[in-house]
Amino acid sequence: MRDVPGLPSRRSFLKASAASAAVVGVVMQAKAETPSAPPPIEEYQPVCLKPTEWAFVMAATARLIPSEGEGPGAIEARVPVFIDKELAGGFGEAADWYMEGPHDAAAHPFRGWQSPLTPLQIYQQGIPVFDAWCQQTHGKIFAELDAATQDKALTSLQKDEMKIKPELRDFFTILLQNTKEGYFADPMYGGNHGMQAWKYIGFPGARGSYKEWVLKHNVAYPLGPVSISGERA
Amino acid sequence: MKTFLRVILILAVLGVVGLLAFIFVPVQRTAAVAQLPADYKAPAGSGEYAMRAGDCMACHTAEGGKPFAGGRPIHSPMGTIWATNITPDKETGIGNYTLDDFRAALYDGVRNDGAHLYPAMPYENYRKLTEEDIRALYQYFMTEVPAVSNKVEETALSFPFNQRWGIRAWNWLALGKPGFEPVSQDEQFNRGAYLVQGAGHCAACHSPRNLLMAQDGTDESSAAFLTGGEIDGYTAPDLRGPQSAPQKWSTEELAAYLTTARNAHSTATGEMMLVVRDSLQYMTPEDNLAIATYLKKIGSTGGSTAPATPSAAPEKAEVTDTEKMLTEAKADMPLGPRLYLDNCGGCHFVNGKGAAEIFPELDGNSLVTAKSSKGLLDVMLHGAELPSTKDRPMRVRMQGYNDRLNDEEAAALATFLRQAWHNDAPPVTAEDVKAVRR
Amino acid sequence: MARTAKKKDVVIVGLGWTGSILGMELANEGLEIVALERGHDQNTVPDFQYPNMIDELKYGVRLGMMQKPRNSTLTIRRNVDEAALPYRSLGSFLPGIGVGGAGTHWNGLNWRPQLSEYRLRSHVEERWGAGIIPEDMNLQDYPVSYEELEPFFDRFEHVAGISGKAGNLNGKKIEGGNPFEAPRSREYPMPPMPVTWDGAKFAEAAKAAGCHPFPSPGGIASQAYVNEYGMQMGPCNHCGFCERYGCYNYSKSSPQTAILDALKRKPNFEYRTHAEVLKIEMAPDGKTATGVTYFDEKAGEEVFQPADLVILAAYQLHNVHLMLLSGIGQPFDPATNEGVTGRSYAYQMNGGYTMFFKDEVFNPFIGTGANGMSIDDFGMDNIDFGREGFIGGAYWRAGQSNGQPIRSMALPAGTPTWGAGWKKGIGEWYGHSMSIGSHGSHMSYRGNYLDLDPTYKDRHGRPLMRMTFNWQPNDIRMTQFMKSKMEPIAKSMNPTSMQEGFKKDGAMYDVRPYQTTHNVGGTVMGDNPKTSAINRYLQAWDKHNIFVMGAGAFPQNTQYNPTGMVGGLAYWAAHAIRTQYLSNPRPLV
Repeated sequence: MRDVPGLPSRRSFLKASAASAAVVGVVMQAKAETPSAPPPIEEYQPVCLKPTEWAFVMAATARLIPSEGEGPGAIEARVPVFIDKELAGGFGEAADWYMEGPHDAAAHPFRGWQSPLTPLQIYQQGIPVFDAWCQQTHGKIFAELDAATQDKALTSLQKDEMKIKPELRDFFTILLQNTKEGYFADPMYGGNHGMQAWKYIGFPGARGSYKEWVLKHNVAYPLGPVSISGERA
Repeated sequence: MKTFLRVILILAVLGVVGLLAFIFVPVQRTAAVAQLPADYKAPAGSGEYAMRAGDCMACHTAEGGKPFAGGRPIHSPMGTIWATNITPDKETGIGNYTLDDFRAALYDGVRNDGAHLYPAMPYENYRKLTEEDIRALYQYFMTEVPAVSNKVEETALSFPFNQRWGIRAWNWLALGKPGFEPVSQDEQFNRGAYLVQGAGHCAACHSPRNLLMAQDGTDESSAAFLTGGEIDGYTAPDLRGPQSAPQKWSTEELAAYLTTARNAHSTATGEMMLVVRDSLQYMTPEDNLAIATYLKKIGSTGGSTAPATPSAAPEKAEVTDTEKMLTEAKADMPLGPRLYLDNCGGCHFVNGKGAAEIFPELDGNSLVTAKSSKGLLDVMLHGAELPSTKDRPMRVRMQGYNDRLNDEEAAALATFLRQAWHNDAPPVTAEDVKAVRR
Repeated sequence: MARTAKKKDVVIVGLGWTGSILGMELANEGLEIVALERGHDQNTVPDFQYPNMIDELKYGVRLGMMQKPRNSTLTIRRNVDEAALPYRSLGSFLPGIGVGGAGTHWNGLNWRPQLSEYRLRSHVEERWGAGIIPEDMNLQDYPVSYEELEPFFDRFEHVAGISGKAGNLNGKKIEGGNPFEAPRSREYPMPPMPVTWDGAKFAEAAKAAGCHPFPSPGGIASQAYVNEYGMQMGPCNHCGFCERYGCYNYSKSSPQTAILDALKRKPNFEYRTHAEVLKIEMAPDGKTATGVTYFDEKAGEEVFQPADLVILAAYQLHNVHLMLLSGIGQPFDPATNEGVTGRSYAYQMNGGYTMFFKDEVFNPFIGTGANGMSIDDFGMDNIDFGREGFIGGAYWRAGQSNGQPIRSMALPAGTPTWGAGWKKGIGEWYGHSMSIGSHGSHMSYRGNYLDLDPTYKDRHGRPLMRMTFNWQPNDIRMTQFMKSKMEPIAKSMNPTSMQEGFKKDGAMYDVRPYQTTHNVGGTVMGDNPKTSAINRYLQAWDKHNIFVMGAGAFPQNTQYNPTGMVGGLAYWAAHAIRTQYLSNPRPLV
């Protein structure tokens, strides 16, 4: 239920102060308590990804946005949680898209999404194909490779060196896209934990109040971000 | 505790006086204040207009119910009072009321069976209606309002409030002279006075209550009249003091507020929004100007018509410390102003001035600095909405922040608002916030 | 068997800008009106409310305010030899859904076309001769002059609430405005918006290069505003969430801020949501429409809505689709260049430079959809088509509209797309870049058109519409011309690095990246029923009680964002209906 402004109660008679407060204020719990810290990502129970898929997403996003260097990595930002949740929802099942056949998955990429598969299905079918390729090429499935080899394997996937079948050719594209989404989306979707990614680049989030700053040319805006739920950093 | 003692005291007074009254005073029915011909016909539309002026529909129509068929619960400290069916239905409404019965209800708060109405019905004020308006209203309710059969729940207050004879005593003490007597040479002033004191029953909310919980004065001759009251724990602002909105605004701005629920400075919220929605927007421009003129003249400034500071071009471009702090937006700013930038600044801006007719000024806003913080907190948490009116049809809404602010945050933000810019009102606690959540 | 609803005087298909305008104008005539909107109802609060609206993932990326291709889409091919494939997920353009339509999620840029654009064919023939017109270009004049339209542009701008600075008031040039604009009868309703650092930098560079910068005009309130209907706007706070979002602040012009609450008060106006019009029904003589059949989503049934007057006010693509499905106007055939419905689909040819400044900060999240400074020095009126070898023009603008990081993350060429290098790049470069855009015209061609798809069907079993579209050499020459002019100006700003994004020779249409939702043509207006679907009053040539609003009327696209023209034409058509048609329904031409 969204918060539509309701009508105030109708006029009361004999406007004494005491009584009504007792009536109106019946034991309301305080809302908007700061959410308690989520369990460590290793303990997260995926809602739609199977264990091998989860292991892949954890490993792959950790290389797409690594933890080393300045700024949070995908794991600190809890990007895998975001991806699991997105794939479990409307995005994962292509709920908004036109998915009627006939499909021409091999059409030129400029023609847009022409795979008969949903994004979730692409993860589900793409991960084993890629793992098998890693096994064959590098001797282990992706999640078990060392970081340098993982980077190499991801580059191969991006360049489509394994000639993945056309139905799956957007696998890397959506994996990377979803990783960046999880890094920068509002924390309520599971990623961008603590708004670390926003803080890192200097995006103030869901504030929307800059009238007095428009003409402060070439001066960095100092205030940290706020999330949709009101979290501050 | 104080309130409890007050109630006990009132009960005692009511008890003693009421008992005497019950013995000595028969049921009073005030006669017409003017003799109109028996075949007098009120001008077309005048009944509906008087109904709008009196805002009868507001109480006598249930949420989603048929007009005037009653059944709206009105919560009071003594229990729920059920607004009655005032359609001309003979069984469940007022179809059997004679003109004298009808007048007695408005003047004396007496039903046609002689029982007393609870003073939720503002007969203290309706008592000032002219006989012409009484006739117009009677004609309207008898011939223009469709009869609706709707048996309304009988009001059943707990003892001793169920002893309706007590009201007779209260009436005896509280009711003034019937009818309206103009006191000025200025017709506009008189018209405004009549609408404010009578049909408009402004004092029902905007005047303090005396020991008997009667309105402390029913016209401007009383110093307390319209100096602010309380309704359901909300502050109904003072309309006469030097810092009151009507005294700070121009007459035209005040009239615009009455007509459209918005003006260059502020917007109507809560009960006042409903009054504009259901009553004032239907008044003629002349009548709302008359009301504004009257309210300005009875104020401390004595009706100086000097325009208030026009919002577009403030006479002094003074930058408050609050505005400076909000503009700097330093990363380590305190919680209150930080929450202002995170939640309020987008519309009300760092100078707290908002924008004319759409985003109310928070600097100097009577709701923000009211004695009771309940109104401010209610708007912050649950939002507000302006009614669609003829001149300003947009139902401007502010969303509520019930889900985004916890009790401590809302208290810090409200405290900031009450002390920001030129505001200087006491702080708000998390307990205050908790009490307003719904 | 369709249920038949109570007859109305007017049925309006779609309740966006033009539906609201026609609703208001015709309701004021006392007509009984019903508007049918296939989407949901939406109001500023709660539907666009802060902070829920400014959610980049939900609205910017997942496109929460746009139509769902599952419910409504089309197929696309680049030429007649290709099999069209469905536009399965949105990319290149984003049609909206719901009350307010695209008017809720636009950027707010509001323009009047240049003087030459209304009579482009005549302009070209008079100055350079018909010989410079490519053979496959269906270049046409608008059948209405700027002078005729001026009062209606003015009306729309004052209803919508546009901020800007006039450059030509009744022929008098005004310092600070656009010196190349057509003369306007009044100043803009509101002063221009203040401009961010990128716009200011561009203006300085453009001025130094001899150009004439002016603040971009837009439907973004620079102050509190009340229009002729008593509808209101509040000043914008530059939150940086315009395009793809509804405005939570009552600051962006939309049917919601400009018209709807006033229209809803009218007892003779009614609107029904989740009501998708399937077909316009014809009288047996084929000369007039009898009403429309729509699918009532809530009741799950088809309903016939009889009406004396049918106003097509859906998005351009849907108006054309409905016309094709209902047999209104002869469908266009590229083989013969005959037929009118679906003819002359056109788009927009845009390009630009992105510049990176290591030591400057832009605070990119401070912005509006219509932010910044523009120049019209390379506009249609100022170009020697004969010398340059193309027909067209563009306006340029620099003004950041948002800093939403999922989508608005410009990085210097060579920055890795992922890994440690990418992460380092975003830390170094977010907020240190700006861009200049060239927003160019797009001509109409025999090969770019709309018809019905032979293979794919929508959820009601109707054929999808098929778009045949590709970039054409004339417009590519135009955009390459813009590149050659922009490069030195961009360089003069001394960026750390810069990169261009202009279409090159042989560019093929790519449906994936967002380009613009300025789909125009398909129901073009004209003087000749053989080359236009509607006459100068937007009235269907062969069915006089059907009027077709929107950018479908553009014979070719102008160099500007279309809303100003769409709004002006809607008031123009409404005026004709009120003053000429209602008293004597007939073909007005």
